[in-house]
Amino acid sequence: MKTINVTINGTRYEETVPVRMLLVDFIRERLALTGTHVGCTYEGVCGACTIHLDGEAVKSCMLLAVQADGHEITTVEGLAKGGELSALQRAFRQHHGLQCGFCTPGILMNMTEFLVHNPTPTDDEIRQGLIGNLCRCTGYVHIVTSVRAAADELARTGGA
Amino acid sequence: MYPAKIDDYSRPATIAEAVAALASFGVGEAMCIAGGMSLMQAIKSRLVRPACLVDLQDVAELRGIRGSGGALSIGAMTRYVEIAGHAPFASGPFAALRDAASHVGDRQVRNRGTIGGSLCWNYMAACLPAAVLALGATLRLVGPGGERTIAIDDFLIGPLETARGEQEVLVSIDWKSAPARSGSAYKKWGLVKDALPVVGVAALVTLEANGACSAARLALAGLTAGAQRVPAGEAALLGSKGDAASLDRALEAVCANVDLHSDHWADAAYRGQLVRQLGRDVLTSAFARAKN
Ligand SMILES: Cc1cc2nc3c(=O)[nH]c(=O)nc-3n(C[C@H](O)[C@H](O)[C@H](O)COP(=O)(O)OP(=O)(O)OC[C@H]3O[C@@H](n4cnc5c(N)ncnc54)[C@H](O)[C@@H]3O)c2cc1C
Ligand code: FES
Ligand code: FES
Repeated sequence: MKTINVTINGTRYEETVPVRMLLVDFIRERLALTGTHVGCTYEGVCGACTIHLDGEAVKSCMLLAVQADGHEITTVEGLAKGGELSALQRAFRQHHGLQCGFCTPGILMNMTEFLVHNPTPTDDEIRQGLIGNLCRCTGYVHIVTSVRAAADELARTGGA
Repeated sequence: MYPAKIDDYSRPATIAEAVAALASFGVGEAMCIAGGMSLMQAIKSRLVRPACLVDLQDVAELRGIRGSGGALSIGAMTRYVEIAGHAPFASGPFAALRDAASHVGDRQVRNRGTIGGSLCWNYMAACLPAAVLALGATLRLVGPGGERTIAIDDFLIGPLETARGEQEVLVSIDWKSAPARSGSAYKKWGLVKDALPVVGVAALVTLEANGACSAARLALAGLTAGAQRVPAGEAALLGSKGDAASLDRALEAVCANVDLHSDHWADAAYRGQLVRQLGRDVLTSAFARAKN
């Protein structure tokens, strides 16, 4: 067992965990933040568990909770600020970027960071950016449209 | 799958502390963890069952790309995302590193996975072992007995096997100088975009003033031998000016001198076709990059 300190969506947690506990299980089972999903057998192939670790998109089933000790995490619950959805979240709602929604938290986390690095992406770059996220429903067309719309909106408003 | 039991976890801040942490356990009991993109899978599948993990994330000396006067040193903990974004690798002798790193897996994997972890794991179809092999690096390792260097050719033994001692830490991947008039490239083909390759081809060519090839290194990923050089193909490239006919002759020599196996992903004939097609693209861009 190890005691870890992590900040998740602005709240500090100190918890004692087994070394082998996966970060995704820590987030879901220990902290009951169930917006982060598990869409494969923890193999790192579906991307539904994507979170931000110090602002970068990573798959939380590929990390141990102890590796996150001392770091800052954002999960999908942390994207909306003061009850206001982010531009990307609004775009997904407006452009039908989801059907069942299972893949959506991971896609939102990945694409939020993607847009920070590439605020004016081509559709091809958006598709390349989505390689690590499996969607079993949409066929991706509306997801690409949503990301594109969010990029345009962010360019117009110059931010969040 | 849920990870196997792990008793202990340590997070050293220096190379010396990391070596001491590994040495405080019996041989084979403690393992380094870098990005965890291969190791976590192996711990979940029970391929390995380390009693302790030595996490290298805080060892600042292991991070970063340092170049001066043609020499280059890449810290073992440098991540794919950093190599992919390193502007000096856009052309010239080290461009294969960027080609390879920018198409490993997906963004999330590239945000975590490291060049050192890829070399130490040496998976048969991994991209960086073949790319670094083509570029002929020297690796720096530190262990209980002190520091040593080893050529990449001697370090990579075969799939999942390297010359690293179990208690050694890979520190950096180094080049004393960048060869003049040289260019490199890497390209792969897998069942889905940016997946682990069925075949990957890496090459470095050095040209004379008249554009003829005076030295070449060519390495493949994905065949049964894992990352491997193909000396017959390298020899056949000497004197070539990068024209299609001479490249195709060299790639026939490559195909004739490697074990092209069949499996459920690709049969032997298709693998040969991949070597020829990817090889043609890779050599063409390596020649072009050597010229500017
Ligand atoms: C979804 C997915 C897709 C992928 N696609 C590709 C792909 O297309 N191409 C490809 O090449 N790879 C691919 N990979 C594998 C990936 O490249 C791994 O990141 C890499 O093989 C291991 O690097 P790491 O930093 O994650 O090392 P880890 O997994 O942390 O470690 C790997 C091994 O190296 C040892 N080690 C690590 N660093 C050191 C060090 N400095 N000194 C001593 N020992 C060390 C560890 O003990 C362990 O045995 C993929 C992985 C995933 C999950
Ligand atoms: S749960 Fe599928 S990638 Fe993490
Ligand atoms: S919306 Fe159902 S998996 Fe993507």
